[in-house]
Amino acid sequence: MNTHPYLRAYLAGIFVPTFVLPLLLTFVVVRLVFQVPIPVEQALIFPMACVPLLWGLWNMLWLWSSPRTHMPIGLHGAVLPLLLMPMGALLATSAGLLEIGARGVTWFHACQVPYALIVPLFLAALAGYYLVWKYVVGFVNRALGIA
Amino acid sequence: MNAHDEDRIKQVLKRSLPQVEDEAEPVRDLWPAMLRRLDASSVAPSLSLVPWFDWALLAGLAGLAAFFPASIPVLLYYL
Repeated sequence: MNTHPYLRAYLAGIFVPTFVLPLLLTFVVVRLVFQVPIPVEQALIFPMACVPLLWGLWNMLWLWSSPRTHMPIGLHGAVLPLLLMPMGALLATSAGLLEIGARGVTWFHACQVPYALIVPLFLAALAGYYLVWKYVVGFVNRALGIA
Repeated sequence: MNAHDEDRIKQVLKRSLPQVEDEAEPVRDLWPAMLRRLDASSVAPSLSLVPWFDWALLAGLAGLAAFFPASIPVLLYYL
C-alpha cells in the first residue's frame, strides 16, 4: 500500500461526491415522472463534472501539503467552498440556474434565497465541508493508508 | 568460512542468548488483549470521541435544513 499515494488520495477525495450523485439523479427521475419544470439536467453539470474533480485534487493537495503545514484535514476541506462556491455560482448564472433579484437570488427557478440567508448558507457550507472532510474523507484516507 | 567456524559461531550464539524454558507458555490467554488492541486502532472513529463542537455544527446544519428546506438543493449542488 505504499505505491501511488496521490492516486489513492484522488480516489479518496472523489468518494463523497460520487456517493451524492445517485441522490441527485433522483431529482432527474422526479422531474421526468412528475414533469417538474426545473432544469435538473443543467444543474447536474457542476456536481457531476467539477465537484468530484476538485475534491480529488483538493485531497491530493492536502496529501502534498500536510507534512509541511500540519493542517487538519477538516480545516483543509472547509477552505474548499471558498473556491467552489464562486465557481458554482458563476456556472449557475451562465447556465440560467441562478437569477439575481432585488430581494434575493433564485436557484433552479424554484428555490428563493433571500440575501439575508446567503451568509448563513455559506457558513453552513463551510461547516458541512468541515465535517465531511474531517470524518468521511479522513476515514477513507486512513482506510487507504495515506493518513 | 569453514565448518569449524560455523560450529564456533553456533556455540557463541547459544551461549549469548538466554535459555528458553521448557514451559514457555504465557500465564494467560493473550488473544483477547490482541483483539482489543486491534479494535482500538481501527480506522473508524468512535462516536464518543466526536467533540461537542462538531455535534453543534451538525445540529446547526440540521436546523438550517429543517427551517429552510430550500437550502438543501443548494447545498447538494456543491457536493
